[in-house]
Amino acid sequence: MNGDVLSLVGKNIPKKDAPLKVTGQAQYIQDIKLPGMLWGKILYSRYPHGRILNIDTKRAERLPGVKAVLTGSTIPDIKIGFMKDNPPLKKGKVCSMRDEVAAVAATSPEVAQEAIELIDVEYEELPGVFDPVEAMKEGAPLIHEELKSNVLKLPWKLICGDVDRAKAESAYIVEDTYKTQWVTHCCLGTSGCIASFDVNNNLTMYSNTQIPSLAQRDYIDALNAFGLKNKRVRVVQSVIGGGFGSKLDTYPYEYIAILLALKTRRPVKILFTREEEFFATSPRQCTLTKISQGCDREGRLTFREMEMILDNGAYTSWGATTPSVMMMPISSLYKVPNVRYTAKCVYTNNNYSQAMRGYGNPQATFAIESSMDQLAEAAGMDPYEFRMKNANEPGEVTPQRFKITSCGMKECIEAVAEKLNWKEKRGRHNGRGVGMASLIHVGGGARVYKSDGCGTIIKIDDYGKVDVFTGSTDIGQGSDTVIAQIVAEVLGISIEDVNVINNDTDVCPWDVGVHASRTTFVAGNSALYAAEKIKAEILTIVSHMLGEDVAFLDIKNGVVYSKRDKEKSMPLGKALRSIHYATGGKMLMAECFYDPANENFDREFKGNLSVSYAYGAHGVEVEVDRKTGKVKILNYVAAHDVGRAINPMLLEGQIFGGGVMGLGYALGEEMVYINGVLKNGNFLDYKIPTAKDVPPIETIIVETVDKDGPFGAKGIGEPGLVPTAPAISNAIYDAVGVRIKDLPITPEKILKALKEKGAEKLDEA
Amino acid sequence: MRRFEYHKPETIKEALGLVTSLNNARFIAGGTDILVALRQKKAEIDNLISLRNIGELKGIEYGDGLWIGSGTTHTEILKSRVILEHYTALNDGVKNLGSRQIRNVATIGGNICNAAPSADTACPLLVLDAKVLIAGINGERWVDLDGFFLGPNKTVLDKHELVKGFSLPLFPKNTGSSYIKHTRRAAMDLPILGIAARITMDDGKEGATCREARIAMGVVAPRPIRAYETERFLVGKPLTEDVMEEAGNIAAREATPRDSIRGQAWYRKEMVKVLVGRAIKNAMERMGL
Repeated sequence: MNGDVLSLVGKNIPKKDAPLKVTGQAQYIQDIKLPGMLWGKILYSRYPHGRILNIDTKRAERLPGVKAVLTGSTIPDIKIGFMKDNPPLKKGKVCSMRDEVAAVAATSPEVAQEAIELIDVEYEELPGVFDPVEAMKEGAPLIHEELKSNVLKLPWKLICGDVDRAKAESAYIVEDTYKTQWVTHCCLGTSGCIASFDVNNNLTMYSNTQIPSLAQRDYIDALNAFGLKNKRVRVVQSVIGGGFGSKLDTYPYEYIAILLALKTRRPVKILFTREEEFFATSPRQCTLTKISQGCDREGRLTFREMEMILDNGAYTSWGATTPSVMMMPISSLYKVPNVRYTAKCVYTNNNYSQAMRGYGNPQATFAIESSMDQLAEAAGMDPYEFRMKNANEPGEVTPQRFKITSCGMKECIEAVAEKLNWKEKRGRHNGRGVGMASLIHVGGGARVYKSDGCGTIIKIDDYGKVDVFTGSTDIGQGSDTVIAQIVAEVLGISIEDVNVINNDTDVCPWDVGVHASRTTFVAGNSALYAAEKIKAEILTIVSHMLGEDVAFLDIKNGVVYSKRDKEKSMPLGKALRSIHYATGGKMLMAECFYDPANENFDREFKGNLSVSYAYGAHGVEVEVDRKTGKVKILNYVAAHDVGRAINPMLLEGQIFGGGVMGLGYALGEEMVYINGVLKNGNFLDYKIPTAKDVPPIETIIVETVDKDGPFGAKGIGEPGLVPTAPAISNAIYDAVGVRIKDLPITPEKILKALKEKGAEKLDEA
Repeated sequence: MRRFEYHKPETIKEALGLVTSLNNARFIAGGTDILVALRQKKAEIDNLISLRNIGELKGIEYGDGLWIGSGTTHTEILKSRVILEHYTALNDGVKNLGSRQIRNVATIGGNICNAAPSADTACPLLVLDAKVLIAGINGERWVDLDGFFLGPNKTVLDKHELVKGFSLPLFPKNTGSSYIKHTRRAAMDLPILGIAARITMDDGKEGATCREARIAMGVVAPRPIRAYETERFLVGKPLTEDVMEEAGNIAAREATPRDSIRGQAWYRKEMVKVLVGRAIKNAMERMGL
């Protein structure tokens, strides 16, 4: 698109709701109160695995202020989740410490809490299984007896080419095992919702979901199951204090709020404490990965084989589909002709897992990019040269049938090497080292659901002020601003004249959800096409008014004008009023439902998942204290092929945020579960990096101007954290010669590895 | 959180009267430990007696030695030039304690009376030979800080007593001190291990020997401890690399750390070996050697 004359796209425009957030005016779920509202509270399990023998709620019911007490046996029989294996309140059995056993609604949070403590539950503790490998063994305790196995019936398997032959023909082969840990999203805003029924049993859910349309569907299904047929559900989203994938599903607490509201006939709010946010929301699953890769004598990749085991926890969310996204880097990060991948999701008595920023990609890329360095070493090549040799290029069709359109992977790798001063700094082994890792991610939507669409409705008033109703949610990432920029750019008006409404299913069109880094691309295109429609209509009408050929008309700074005749122009507002205030007048509106031309995977898990793909590379220079094992990041460079930066400032925010999240993943964060019990569910012992731990991150924005993206843009929501851990791990290897294969890379692990290697003595000698 | 009554006495006498007469009463200073314990239901208290409005408990005085009132906040300690210059280990201990918000309200008296094995001011005060002035309804008494701690969250304080403050001696010219807080994060963290050192050298010239040494260790025992054997080893020796390394090894033998989610015992022992030497080195640098 005419890049040389853009006035808003490419500009650093502060996030539209920033003043509200900074001044405390933004209304989070925490701030919302409805008349007559009650407070719900949940009683969780006392054991990771056990039979519920008896629940006595009498004492709780008698407490003044308590309006309802629910247990698994007093609610309708429903199961929620991706495999429909999760009752909102458990009956008969608990399978994890997070299991919801009973709930109350009361006039205050304090009374609700007191009531919860008055519920007596009698359990018979059962032996648990907390490791997916153990859970697959014969005779392991079964989490869901009726399924007869702890392995989920999700046969993740991708086969491209002939791996066995490629193995036999490879000049160099490396093989290793990598592990990743449980981590959690750490949203600043804790989870919460308010369920409210009107007199006709239509439901309004105040929620901070990142999938309003799918959540609406889930709630309607639940109401049907409760016997409330044909009811309306409205989802109203408050300002959301972070999502990162945690709100990509509906959860027991939401159904509990609905059931309590139904029972009490009053609005019921459930708001998580920070402790609950740690132990009762679904974290990123831990993985165990076997990987082998080979290359020929010239260093060209010949094959990649990976086997993965994922801890699913006790129930199943959308997170169980992360292996489908892992297939993307496995098949298509670098040119690799032969690929074999299998993954098993396994039930355990741990908390059940869910998607988190990157959706499996960080776990897979940690193994792939660590292994890439190992293979480069085996082949006697510089890891940078090795990556450049195998890098993806435009026009490629990958073994999984991804059609690579725009691709700036080589530019990213080169830029990182240059900024890090790679040639000079690599290979010194003196306690300082450099490392890099690349990434591929979906950048043009991802058809993981039946539709990958997003709708937009635009209306414009008599003065050229625009309301944009988009299905897409702002979870803090900045879609409210990016969509406004796109619409304002198309319509030639100022950003202040664009109001984005994105939080109410009663007025906003359908959208599949904020995931897969798809919002700028899909919601952006949807808004772009809707704006173009309304613009075309304006120009057509004005061309008659001005007596000018429509081909020469445009709008800029709120004025419709002729590009060839300066005399012919009209303020946009005046034009709009003329259109409105006439016999048979018109107020202009336009809509667009944009669904990208990407493909669902076929039965072999092949197909063009996304219309375009985002690339990037991160490079790190570290200093390792050989005596303590502590790692200091000296330099951090993040290069991303983003197609086009619509708002470089917000885009950098995504890269910084992703980088910091990746840093935590690499070096510190870990949910410590011991026999199913979370031992560090607080910010003191869960080591999310503080501001003081974050090194300066240098961003490099590579613009490849994607042919299908809005103004050429591709997604950037997730990529920032995908290559962080392997880049750091590779740098540590370069610095001190030890490779840590299980995250997080703690000082203890480094020191232990150094001691095992005897590296200390060598260094001193 | 359990409901409690909040009292605001303005004198020590008044505070001691309240704590003796009220049921199930405890003092609260900055509240950064006790409120957390209350919320987590690890403490059940009916009456909280605030020490915040008692002027007698505040302030830093420097003359024949150093006096720090127990109600002095960590931020106030951090601002003290005298402490930075002459009692540097304490400055080290305070500067990375909690966060700025915590340091603004938390007091040194609270940090010591809470008696956590990880208390950031404990090791520095131990090597700086701090004495504790305790006030009770029947009068005052002095206790060496080393005799003050009994175990995790346990001290010699009677439940009707409070700490008025800490007295630190003047040290000779060739003295330096330091504290190393070994953490996973750069802020908002508890130490995996804390090591403090104070060294007084014979004179400032090359080849000087150590006249007096103090080494203290946190998170290696149920309470912050002095490494007496290490201290004895150091006295009379020139502080060479070899001597410092051996000091680390001796200190590691004096340490009895446990495994916890915050750090493994073997790692803590290894770090004692490394950090004792580094703490001594830092202390030496501060005396200008």
